[in-house]
Amino acid sequence: MDESISTYYTHLTVPREDEHRHLNMTFLQELPSYRSIVRRRASILGRDKTRGSLLKPASSDHKAHLEIGKLEKEHVGSQSIRKYALDISEKRRLREIQEAQIKYLSDWDQWKQYSTKSWKKFIEETKELASHLELWRNDLRSIEGKFGTGIQAYFAFLRFLVILNLVIFIIIFLFILLPIILTKYKITDSTFLIIPSSEIDLRCKVYTMNSTGLIYFYTYMIDLLSGTGFLEWTSLFYGHYTVDGIKFKTFTYDLPLAYLLSTIAYMSLSLLWIVKRSVEGFKQNLVRSEEQYQSYCNKIFAGWDFCITDQTTARLKHSSILYELKTDLEEERIRQKIAERTPEETLRIYSLRLLLNTVVVAFLASCFYSIYVATVFSQEHMKKEINKMVFGENLLILYLPSIVITMANFITPLIFSRIIHYEDYSPAFEIRLTLLRCVFMRLATICVLVLTLGSKITYCDNEDCRVCGYNHKLYPCWENQVGQEMYKLMIFDLIINLAVTIFIEFPRKLLVTHCSNWKLIRCWGQQEFAIPDNVLGIVYGQTICWIGSFFSPLLPAIATVKFIIIFYVKEISLMYTCRPSTRPFRASNSNFFFLLVLLIGLSLAFIPLGISMTHIPSSKACGPFTNFNTSWDAIPKTVSTFPVALQTLVHAVTSEAFAVPFFIVICLIMFYFIALAGAHKRVVVQLRQQLAVESRDKHYLVRRLTELQEETRNRPS
Amino acid sequence: MGQCLRHPMSWEELEEYQALTFLTRNEILCIHETFCKLCPRGKYYKEATLTMDQISSLPALRVNPFRDRICRVFSHDEVFSFEDILGMASVFSAQACPSLKIEYAFRIYDINENGFIDEDDLQNIIKRLLNTTDVGDELLKNLIQHVWYDADLDNDHMLSFAEFEHAMSKSPDFMNSFRIPSWGL
Repeated sequence: MDESISTYYTHLTVPREDEHRHLNMTFLQELPSYRSIVRRRASILGRDKTRGSLLKPASSDHKAHLEIGKLEKEHVGSQSIRKYALDISEKRRLREIQEAQIKYLSDWDQWKQYSTKSWKKFIEETKELASHLELWRNDLRSIEGKFGTGIQAYFAFLRFLVILNLVIFIIIFLFILLPIILTKYKITDSTFLIIPSSEIDLRCKVYTMNSTGLIYFYTYMIDLLSGTGFLEWTSLFYGHYTVDGIKFKTFTYDLPLAYLLSTIAYMSLSLLWIVKRSVEGFKQNLVRSEEQYQSYCNKIFAGWDFCITDQTTARLKHSSILYELKTDLEEERIRQKIAERTPEETLRIYSLRLLLNTVVVAFLASCFYSIYVATVFSQEHMKKEINKMVFGENLLILYLPSIVITMANFITPLIFSRIIHYEDYSPAFEIRLTLLRCVFMRLATICVLVLTLGSKITYCDNEDCRVCGYNHKLYPCWENQVGQEMYKLMIFDLIINLAVTIFIEFPRKLLVTHCSNWKLIRCWGQQEFAIPDNVLGIVYGQTICWIGSFFSPLLPAIATVKFIIIFYVKEISLMYTCRPSTRPFRASNSNFFFLLVLLIGLSLAFIPLGISMTHIPSSKACGPFTNFNTSWDAIPKTVSTFPVALQTLVHAVTSEAFAVPFFIVICLIMFYFIALAGAHKRVVVQLRQQLAVESRDKHYLVRRLTELQEETRNRPS
Repeated sequence: MGQCLRHPMSWEELEEYQALTFLTRNEILCIHETFCKLCPRGKYYKEATLTMDQISSLPALRVNPFRDRICRVFSHDEVFSFEDILGMASVFSAQACPSLKIEYAFRIYDINENGFIDEDDLQNIIKRLLNTTDVGDELLKNLIQHVWYDADLDNDHMLSFAEFEHAMSKSPDFMNSFRIPSWGL
């Protein structure tokens, strides 16, 4: 405080109104807390460079030298120079000082610093190299510059799915396809091992191909599109892998176990990878305060995308920021209105919501029922002679479930967005709820399809099922049928995507550019890239891939190719037919939303897989699990070949005596962390209040000091 | 738009710049090329300077509402030397650490340069973001109040550096948006 009074006497001007504020500011800049932050930011003052009064010292030059001296002492150690907010020339000086100081360290410290430095350099160079290998880097950059980070997040997500599918296919290839190929083409000296089992009824093992005779060209087309005929016997489907083991020179490769374990492996890998990717976004969501939709600081200080280079995009960004801020304020106003609702109104709204939710559930039920009917119809009529039907009718029947699913997915968002208007939620919540409903609808349809198939497979009203456990007359190799349905869904999805782009989006753009004088066309306008719909589309494709990979091992490879095609198609469609959306979709929210939807898809994929692996008996006529009751039985059988000690351990870990206490302990740990988080929140609130009180004191003192100075100045000396 | 002496960077200089900034080799070379295209004829690149207008009209900064602030913060004596541009690119590169970005973001947003982000600064920032000086008073007042409520921990209607740092470390979009990937022409 003494210094400030001494410096005051160097002011000779008469204080004016804003001099007050200037004096206030000067005092605030002299406070120890401010100075320590400035020192921490390591600004070296010197060489005639002024950078605003931020760094003007209140006192003479000797203090500046003191600062540099202190800094020099602090920099012993391997601090990275880059992190300092200094000019390059000053950083160079600092580096020289650092290197001079190294000589005074002991040999061990010198070696330690040298090794950490070279290790960091090595890591950086590998990162730089790896970034060159990044797939589609330039495409993503140009999309980001032109359309913003929201849409770029979608394409980054698509790229992630391509890589995920590729890795899944590599797992399948290494553990299932490679041994078979090695044996089949006699690359290694191994043989197939087929163990006939005497317990299985011979009737279950009957599996013949349809008689061929004269094959028309169009049957090839149908086979290619629906996975029947010549495709059924290829390695595309489960039925091809009818071996019980592969005998190499030194060991026997247990193919059924490998098949099952690789399925479990790639499902767990998908789960872990998705969770890892979403953890970053989730951490940010956790740290934010309760009103997580209204982080104004984020929207104002980090609102502008510095990577935008295009004039039009910039204009759109300005308007989207305005829209977003206005929406947030509106949202808060509506929240306040909701909080002020009277009890009668609340009752009315809740009963209305109950009614509308029942309508939604009824609608979903009717969709699922129509899918069920379509699947049953398709399955029954598929068994008729193919030759007797007309080409179009045949294809229609084969693709009937896919067509019904696609139509349901098309109508649902329209109906849901109509219904939700009456439920009187705040706008942001409306969007989220509609999205969640559409997601659930889209992904549950696949489940319904597979479960319908499952019920048809295990349904039989006479003796058929008791022999083999499933309907072996209609479905001698039922896994193949399921695989074919998934294959058809995937192909149909790809065809629909391509068709929509070629036959709807491009003509729309042509109409808008050439016939813009028609009012109707102008109203309709150019296409906007609708991120939620597109994301649902690719998550739908990925869920099909996950469910179908067990029944059709080559499906991930097809999915990889499909997603690559979709990437380029969507990119071309975006660049040539779309205008950037006025509704902003923040990148941070996006990543979390995409991965959440993908997780929902993955969990919904576990259900049909789990049921078919554990409850439905595996076909005895084809596939690697002919000697097991269900597919899952391969694991207990393997465990029973372990040494006795390991067996007892495995049995203990999977028994209820272990699972229940384990579950209770996990619950206790979770409750502890929840309580801890609550306590921390309370402490944060108290500290914030304390800070506000302290700051009031500080400002009061500064004001008194200013007034005191005025009095001393105005007092006749 | 003359071309300065076509003096390619030596290996040692490249290594040194890589050690002192967050830029990769390719990025430094790209900036060197851009600089050489813009700087006056016949000058060695280490001695040449560019004006703030020339930097403001680079594609990377052309449409940025904060370009004049960026130029003011990173330039020295109202001109840019080659190393000034490298320093600027380093702060905006994708590899830069958060503390460096937050430091310079604070300097950029502190428009009246008094060491704090106060109400005038915030009004200026919002007007730049919305690209209009004609923002409704109601909207402005509401937004400023919300920012104070979010980030102003000691209730003095100003953001000190500590408060700004705290707010930006919680912000999920900051690292992604405070990034300029390429400085080419």
